[in-house]
Amino acid sequence: MSLHNDAQLIRMANQIAANLGGGRDEESAVAAIRRHLETFWARPMKQRLIAGLEREDSELVPLARQATQQLAERLSEPASVTGPGA
Amino acid sequence: MIEHFDPSQQAQEHIQTYAKDLGTPPPAAGAAMVRLEIDGVAIRVPEGTSVLRAAALADINIPKLCATDSLEAFGSCRLCAVQVEGRRGTPAACTTPVTEGMRVTTQNERLARLRRNVMELYISDHPLDCLTCPANGDCELQDMAGAVGLRQVRYGFEGENHLQATKDESNPYFTFDPSKCIVCSRCVRACEEVQGTFALTIDGRGFDSKVTAGQGEAFMDSDCVSCGACVQACPTATLMEKSVIDAGQPEHSVITTCAYCGVGCTFEAQMKGDQLVRMVPYKGGDANHGHSCVKGRFAFGYASHPDRLTTPMIRESIDQPWREVGWEEAIAFAAARLRAIQAEHGRESIGGITSSRCTNEETYLVQKLIRAAFGNNNTDTCARVCHSPTGYGLKTTLGESAGTQTFDSVMQADAIIVIGANPTDAHPVFGSLMRKRLRQGAKLIVTDPRRIDLLKTPHLGEAQHLPLRPGTNVALINALGHVVVTEGLEDHDFIAKRCDSEAYRAWRDFIREPHHSPEASEAITGVPAEAVRQAARTYATAGNGAIYYGLGVTEHSQGSTMVMGIANLAMATGNLGREGVGVNPLRGQNNVQGSCDMGSFPHELPGYQHVADPVARGRFEAAWGVTLDHEPGLRIPNMFDAAIEGSFKALYVQGEDIAQSDPNTQHVEAALSSLECLIVQDIFLNETAKYAHVLLPGSSFLEKDGTFTNAERRINRVRRVMPPLAGKADWEITVDLARALGYPMDYAHPSEIMDEIARLTPSFAGVSYAKLDERGSLQWPCNAEHPLGMPTLHELDFPIGRGRFAITEYVATEERASRRFPLLLTTGRILSQYNVGAQTRRTDNQAWHDEDVLELHPADAELRGIQDGDWLGITSRAGQTVLRARLSERMQPGVVYTTFHHPGSGANVITTDNSDWATNCPEYKVTAVQVEKVSRPSAWQQRFDAFDRAQRGYLAKAQQEATP
Repeated sequence: MSLHNDAQLIRMANQIAANLGGGRDEESAVAAIRRHLETFWARPMKQRLIAGLEREDSELVPLARQATQQLAERLSEPASVTGPGA
Repeated sequence: MIEHFDPSQQAQEHIQTYAKDLGTPPPAAGAAMVRLEIDGVAIRVPEGTSVLRAAALADINIPKLCATDSLEAFGSCRLCAVQVEGRRGTPAACTTPVTEGMRVTTQNERLARLRRNVMELYISDHPLDCLTCPANGDCELQDMAGAVGLRQVRYGFEGENHLQATKDESNPYFTFDPSKCIVCSRCVRACEEVQGTFALTIDGRGFDSKVTAGQGEAFMDSDCVSCGACVQACPTATLMEKSVIDAGQPEHSVITTCAYCGVGCTFEAQMKGDQLVRMVPYKGGDANHGHSCVKGRFAFGYASHPDRLTTPMIRESIDQPWREVGWEEAIAFAAARLRAIQAEHGRESIGGITSSRCTNEETYLVQKLIRAAFGNNNTDTCARVCHSPTGYGLKTTLGESAGTQTFDSVMQADAIIVIGANPTDAHPVFGSLMRKRLRQGAKLIVTDPRRIDLLKTPHLGEAQHLPLRPGTNVALINALGHVVVTEGLEDHDFIAKRCDSEAYRAWRDFIREPHHSPEASEAITGVPAEAVRQAARTYATAGNGAIYYGLGVTEHSQGSTMVMGIANLAMATGNLGREGVGVNPLRGQNNVQGSCDMGSFPHELPGYQHVADPVARGRFEAAWGVTLDHEPGLRIPNMFDAAIEGSFKALYVQGEDIAQSDPNTQHVEAALSSLECLIVQDIFLNETAKYAHVLLPGSSFLEKDGTFTNAERRINRVRRVMPPLAGKADWEITVDLARALGYPMDYAHPSEIMDEIARLTPSFAGVSYAKLDERGSLQWPCNAEHPLGMPTLHELDFPIGRGRFAITEYVATEERASRRFPLLLTTGRILSQYNVGAQTRRTDNQAWHDEDVLELHPADAELRGIQDGDWLGITSRAGQTVLRARLSERMQPGVVYTTFHHPGSGANVITTDNSDWATNCPEYKVTAVQVEKVSRPSAWQQRFDAFDRAQRGYLAKAQQEATP
């Protein structure tokens, strides 16, 4: 697993959080970020980002971290194959 | 009574009616009908029609020379003189409008004598070399001499004349022979009225009158942009295509679509057998109405260039020579490699890139091959690196990933905002139309770090320039929105009826915050607050406000945010849903819109249907007979990262040169070098092909049938005019590869592919080749509700119901000027070259731009002791390259500019892998750099040269071995 790639994914997720975080309350910001990841990111990228949650030195900003956690929960539910809905 | 069909009023019977020159342009649509009689024939035509045009519509053909229906009537040649009952004299039919009850005589002895006398004077000062003249067979002067029955020239040929005038052959594509000029001013008027460049003029008076380029310069040294409108307008051999001088008159022609920019001009390809003699923009073309630019009209020689690849080739590794093989062997080799890699590294270890230069049908097939035969969604297209933020931003706010208008809509605009686009260079034919509207009085607001040429165009209205710092678009659009809201310039009625009220309230609260005010953002954008306020007022209050934008909007870390900011502004001011307004992305390549529509993106099936949508996916699964992955695949930059990491091993690239066009070249090179199998399908050995293991020779747009979709969602037919040089059209190659992978596709003709697209894509449901042939073109959505397509989007509602305002917080890019890299580099393109230059570099367009240079402001140059023409090392955190300096006041201090048309320039060695937050569209437009004088090429350029030499050697070796 390459460190460069992990850093790149975290950077991208933080960028998404910075752009979707404004003008919303925390709950809907997290949902928007999670929906974005769900809709546009490839499976291996999602998995890598989720796997990185356990790293202590992860530089994910709080909103991106929460969204990633939410994504992880939804991906573990079998119903999630219907994709990004609500 | 004969009621005359006017082709401009109705789009049918294209070919027959547009073939005829009716002498003067049609009057504005919707005029009342007028009855008159010409030569005893009763005729009804719209008010404002000239007698010349009315007669021509009734097939009464009055002789004419200075009149042509692409230009306003001029009345100078006197050949179209007629008699009108009750009026004195012999008025010119071209400048005489029809009136109710008018009775016109076009032929009698008096008129015949008059016309013969006129022709006699012309011919007394005209060379009589008709038989060997290049215009022989296509000369209006010769035709008119015949029509009026000229039998003698009483004046002789000995008097003062212009027969010895010197030819100007400076332009690579046409000659100017003033000895044959009749000073009808058609060329001068075409340059003004059609092109809007004003490069030509009539110099002198009376007998001394002559057509002159610029201030008496050679054509190449003048302001002439070589669009060829003058050549097309010339009735004699004075302005003549060199290709016709060489080949003679063409013998048949085919209507097709240009393969250069996103304007998508319709052309008549005029042929001699299977040789293309000239391209003439087609008057019946709905996007271009008979106009073209230097690329479309003249730069077609690449299609028969000796560099064209004609034989499939394979090799084990990229440090080996190529081996020429048959199609079957090459396809089998590619398929075996792909399957072996998937067996070892998994289904997701391979992918492909569809081409924005190929047809819709070809693009559709490549994404189908990837989704159905590769079994994953690792498909992407070069729109990733240009307009993917348009797709995201417009879909989020307006519900449709496309521009809202037709090009012609600009003629109804009262205020035009151009953001990060340079239409006179990159979309020249649309640029000419826009300039026409500006000359009529529309106001212009240009938002660009550079002082683009549009600002220099003659205007009737005002022209405002907001010279913002690169990377600060969102701060500026928010400031414009702030002014609209705080100064009460909103269209409350539109917002209440058409927009989501909750989203609007949230946006309104957001945009009112003081940090969005022009005064607050001036420190960020560098644009004076008062200028921003004035621009916002102009746009919001002019009546019809239209926004046009290009890659200066999308290719930023906040490209998608900016697109949404633009949509916010249009919604807030009610500038959507009718002619003359709208949000209009100007697409770079011929089929960028089409490649996006056709499901090239990893998350979307054709028609922007998400792969996770079970209903849409189910339809494709049923039609294609496979199970499709419900997760999005990798985008191009993700593929590169995965390749370097080792999880992505093979790539099929159709007609796309990622090694030259994508940012951070060294990163791309590392990615391509890591692949175990790179299959490149292209017409030339492009930069990407130098890293390939399989080379599949593709076909040019002249060699296949299909469709392109332009920036106005217009689906235009591409028609084959010559056989594919390598034997196969691109779609046939994809079909072969699919079959070899065990997924047979069964199509006999591209029209069958379009039928499948129509079955599976709701917005294309009503599209077929038969309907395209009948209508000329169709603008999607084209379905049961809109069987003839939809020129203007969002007239009644949005596809998502109500328009959704989006929150667009400005987030500064991480790429910013520093002590080490104090300048900001921005990149773009110029008129004569196209994208990576693979096509235009192989034409005489090289005469205008044979190297990329670095433009910088004289103040930045002086600080560093740089003079015009010096070699400059340009360094960013991504890399270094060396270009020649050009000092230019177009730049603002602190900003430098270059183009990326030549591979050895390495413009993208410097650009970084920063990208748009939503789509990963690269941030080409902002790179922090330092420049300094140097004496030799950069290390990358030296490596590039060596690699390039070796790779071309491998190709030459294969070709030598194949021809013993």
